[in-house]
Amino acid sequence: MPEKPKLSVYWASSCGGCEIAVVNLHEKLLEVDRNFDFVFCPCLLDTKVADVEAMADGSIAVTFFNGAIRTAENEEMARLLRRKSRLLIAFGACSVAGSIPALSNLHSRESHLRTNFLDSPALDNPDGVVPQTRTLVPEGALELPAFFDTVKTLAQVVDVDYFVPGCPPEPHQIWNIVAAVIEGKPLPAQGGRLGAGPSSVCVECSRKKEDKTVGRFYRTWELIPDASRCLLEQGLLCMGMATSQGCGALCPAVNMPCTGCYGPPEGVRDQGAKMISALGSVLDIGPYKGMTEAELVAKTDAVLDSLPDLAGGFYRYSMAGSALRRSR
Amino acid sequence: MKTAVYFCSCGDNITERIEFERLKSDLCRDSEIAYVKPAGFLCAAEGKQFLKNELLAERPDRVVIAACSPREYEKAFMQVLAEAGMNPYFLQMVNIREQVAWVTPDPDQAREKACALIRAAARRVALHQPLEKKQLEARTEVIIIGAGPAGLKSALALAQAGRKVVLVEKTPVLGGMPVRYEELFPNMECGPCMLEPVMGEILHGEHAHNIEILTLAEVIDVAGYLGNFTLKIRQKARYVDTVRCIGCSECIAPCPVSVPNEFHNGLGERKAISLAFAGALPNVPFLDSAACLRWKGKDCELCRKACPVEGAVQFGDQEKVLERNAGAIILATGSTLYDCRKLPQLGYGSLSDVYTSLEFERLLASNGPTAGSVLTKAGQAPESLAIVHCVGSLDKRHKPYCSGICCEYAFKFNHLVGSKLPGTKVYHLYKELVAPGKEEFSLYRHAADSADSQFIRYADIDDLQIRSNGDGKMIHYRDADGREDSFHAAMVVLCPAVEPATGSAELGQMMDVATDRFGFFEELHGALDSAQSKVKGVYLAGACQAPMNIQKSISQGMAAAGYILSELREGTRLQVDPVAASVNEAACSGCHVCRFVCPYKAISYTADGRTASVNALLCHGCGTCVAACPSGAINGNHFTNDQILAEMEAILQ
Repeated sequence: MPEKPKLSVYWASSCGGCEIAVVNLHEKLLEVDRNFDFVFCPCLLDTKVADVEAMADGSIAVTFFNGAIRTAENEEMARLLRRKSRLLIAFGACSVAGSIPALSNLHSRESHLRTNFLDSPALDNPDGVVPQTRTLVPEGALELPAFFDTVKTLAQVVDVDYFVPGCPPEPHQIWNIVAAVIEGKPLPAQGGRLGAGPSSVCVECSRKKEDKTVGRFYRTWELIPDASRCLLEQGLLCMGMATSQGCGALCPAVNMPCTGCYGPPEGVRDQGAKMISALGSVLDIGPYKGMTEAELVAKTDAVLDSLPDLAGGFYRYSMAGSALRRSR
Repeated sequence: MKTAVYFCSCGDNITERIEFERLKSDLCRDSEIAYVKPAGFLCAAEGKQFLKNELLAERPDRVVIAACSPREYEKAFMQVLAEAGMNPYFLQMVNIREQVAWVTPDPDQAREKACALIRAAARRVALHQPLEKKQLEARTEVIIIGAGPAGLKSALALAQAGRKVVLVEKTPVLGGMPVRYEELFPNMECGPCMLEPVMGEILHGEHAHNIEILTLAEVIDVAGYLGNFTLKIRQKARYVDTVRCIGCSECIAPCPVSVPNEFHNGLGERKAISLAFAGALPNVPFLDSAACLRWKGKDCELCRKACPVEGAVQFGDQEKVLERNAGAIILATGSTLYDCRKLPQLGYGSLSDVYTSLEFERLLASNGPTAGSVLTKAGQAPESLAIVHCVGSLDKRHKPYCSGICCEYAFKFNHLVGSKLPGTKVYHLYKELVAPGKEEFSLYRHAADSADSQFIRYADIDDLQIRSNGDGKMIHYRDADGREDSFHAAMVVLCPAVEPATGSAELGQMMDVATDRFGFFEELHGALDSAQSKVKGVYLAGACQAPMNIQKSISQGMAAAGYILSELREGTRLQVDPVAASVNEAACSGCHVCRFVCPYKAISYTADGRTASVNALLCHGCGTCVAACPSGAINGNHFTNDQILAEMEAILQ
C-alpha cells in the first residue's frame, strides 16, 4: 500500500476557530484520514515541532497554516512549514490578511506592552515587569519568542501557494479543497484563492437589492431590520458587497450584517478602501443645493459620525494585507 | 515586451530644463525600456513621419511619448501608431513640458521627475490592452416635447425634411395656449384658425406619416446624447381609439357626469368623456377615468352605446410606457402664469369677477365656457373693466423680469371688449408699458386713443387694493405721482408674469438641462444660441426658454429644427469610444451600487436584477462606477486598476 500524502494544520497567531472549522468536517474527517497521513496539528495531535524538523524537506504534501504572524515563533514555524511542505496554504482570514490580530497594527509594540502589563487597572504589577525575550532566573535563562511591532500576513513572511479566506473558512469550502486534492483535480494558478467564489457575498444573499442611498448608519442594537431588504439599504454597515463570495451569506440570512470575514472579492486589493469608495458613492446627505462648504462638511460628518469604528468596521479582517498595513 | 520611449525636445521648451543624455542614461537602467530616442518636434509633419518610420523599423510592442499635454497631440500620435500598423491604444504620453519643464526650475529635480513619470508610463503601457474604436450611425429621429406653436412648427418642418418625429404632448389636445384664444395680437387673427393649417398638416398632411403624435403623454426617463437618445414615455389611457374614432362626438351628450373643465380654466364644465373644447384637435374625445362612473363601481356605458363605431370607446385601455429612440430632443413645454394668489390685495381667488388673463381669454372665446359673451357672475354685461398690468412682474419680490407679452394682450382685451360691449370703460393700471415691434403699436394706439380707456400708472403693486363693493369692485390706488384715488369696476383682469410650465424643473433634471434662476431652461448663449440648451442634442423652443410671443416661439421652433438638420445629418457617424466601463458578469453580485452613481444612465440590470451591464454607447468612460463597484466587477478600459497601480507604484519606487 503506497504511503498516504502527509497533511498538517498549524496555528500561528489565531483563536483556534480554524481548527474547529476543520473538525466541523464531521464524518468527512474519516475521508481525510483515509486519504492523508495527518502528521501535525498542535490542537489535535501530539506531534512536536522536533518531529516536523526531523521530516525531510518537502515531505508534507499540504499544510493549512492559520493565524497571523505576530511573534518570532509564528515566523519560525512559517519558515519551517514552508520548507517541509509542497503546498503551503494560508488558511483563514488571519494568515491571509491579518484579521483581528492585525488590528493591533494601529498601535505600537510598546503601547501594547504598556497597556497590558503596566496601565491596566486590573493589574497588580508594582515592579513594572514586562515580558522579555530572555530572562535570567536562578535556574537559568528563560526565553520567550519576540513580540513583533507589526503583525504580518503569512505571505509577507514566506511564499504561499494558495489562500483560503474566511473567519473561519466554511467547512463545505474546506471539503471542496480537500476533495479536489484527493481527486487530483487541477488547482487554479499558483497564488490564487481556494474555497471562495468569483463575486461578493451579495450574490448569495437572498435579500432584495435596490438602487442604494444611505442617509445614516445604525448599530445592530438600534433597529430590527426588515428581513427581506438589503441590510445596507436599511443603514446597517453590511460589508457583504465588498466581501468575497464563499460563506453562503450566512450572517445576512439571520438578519446580521456581514462583517467582511471572507476578505476582498477577487481582484480587489483593499477591502476597506473599496467599501469606503462604494459607500462614498451612495452616501446620502440630503438636499445639498446652495449649501456652503462648511454646511456640506457638517452634513457629511453627521452621516459618517454614525459609523462607530472605522478600522474595525472596514478593516476588521484585512488590516495587515491592506494598503494601510499599520499606523505609523 | 519591447517598450520604446520617444523624447520630444519641443524646440528648446523641454531640453532647456531636462538634459536628454542624462535622462536617457537614467532611463536605460530600467530593464523594461528597450530604447530612448530624441526628436525635435514630434508634432510637426516631419516629426510624425519620423515616428512612423521609427515604428515601422523598430517594431516596438508599446510606445511612450514624453512631450507635451496629451490633450494636444495624443490623438495625432495614436493615428501615427495606427498608420504604422500598431493598435493606437499601445501608446502612453507623458507630459514633461507643462508638468515638468515649465514648472520645475531645478534641472536635477526636473530630470528626476521626468524619469519617474516616464518609468511609470512604461510600466503602465506594458499593461495596455488592444482596444478598438467602433462607429455607429447616428439616429436622426427627433422627439419634441410639447405640442404648442413652437413644437408643432418644428415637428412639421422636420417631417417635411423627411425626419421621423415623435410629438409628445401632456394634454389630450394639440395647439398649446393660442388655440384657446379667440384673437391674437397684434393682428387680431383667430388663434385656432391660425394654427389649424399647421395642425391639419401634422395630423393628415403629406408628411403626417413621419410624425407620431402621443397625446396624454409625458417623458419619464431619458438617457443618451446627441445622435443616440432613448426616452421612456408614459402615455395615459384615453379610452377612445384615436384611429377608429370618427370625431362625431355622439358619445359626449349621453354622459351623465359633469366636472369643471380645466381647458376653460375651470370656468365651465365638461363631461367625463369630452373634447377639451369645441374644435380641439385631434378631434377625438378623451375619457377622464377620475370622473367616470365606471371607475366608481357603476355599470354605466352610455358613451359606448352612443358611439356608432364598434370598438372606438375602449374601457379596457391601459396606461402604457413606451420607449422611443431619437438623435435629438426639442423641449417646447411652454409656460404658465404666476400665481395671483401671492398678491392677495388684488382679490384673486377671494373676490368674484377677478380673473387672470388666461381665464379672460376663455370668456372672450367663442369655444369658451360662455361662448364668447363677457358677463359678470350676476349675469350683467360689465359697464367697466379694470386691467392690471405687471402683476408680479418687474418686482423683486416676485419676478424681476418683464414678460413682454402682457401689455399687448391687455390692449387686445381692450379692443375686443370695445367691439363686444361698446361703451365699456376700460382702466389700464400699469407699472410700465411696452409694445415693441412693427405692428404692435396699433393695438396700443387704439387703446390709448379710445375715449373709453383710462391709463393709470402705479409705482408698486402694493399701492393697489381691490375690494368688493356691492355688485362690483372698488379699486383703491396710489398712482406713481403719489395721488390716492379709487374707482369702481364690474370686472377685473390681472396680467400676471409668465413663468415656466409646471414640471419644467423635473424635466430639466431628467435631461440634465440646466434651468436659470427663474426656472426657464437655460440657453447655450442668450444671443447666439437661444434655441440650444447646454446639453448637446437637446434644443429649446418657445416660452420654456423665456417669456415670448407666438411669433418668436415659432421662429425658435424653426431654429431648433434648423440646428438639428445641420448638426444631425443623415449618415452622421457616432464614434463609440472603447475607453468605457465593462462589467465582469461572473464577479457582479447585483448589489445595485453602480446604477445610481452613473451620470449618463448607462448602467442597467438584467430582468432578474442580478447582473449589471454598461451600455457602451452611453458610457463616457468617467470611471465613477469602477470606483464605486465594491466587488471589483467593473473594469474601466484603458484605466484599469492594474494599469493605474502599476503607474503609481513606479512613481513611488
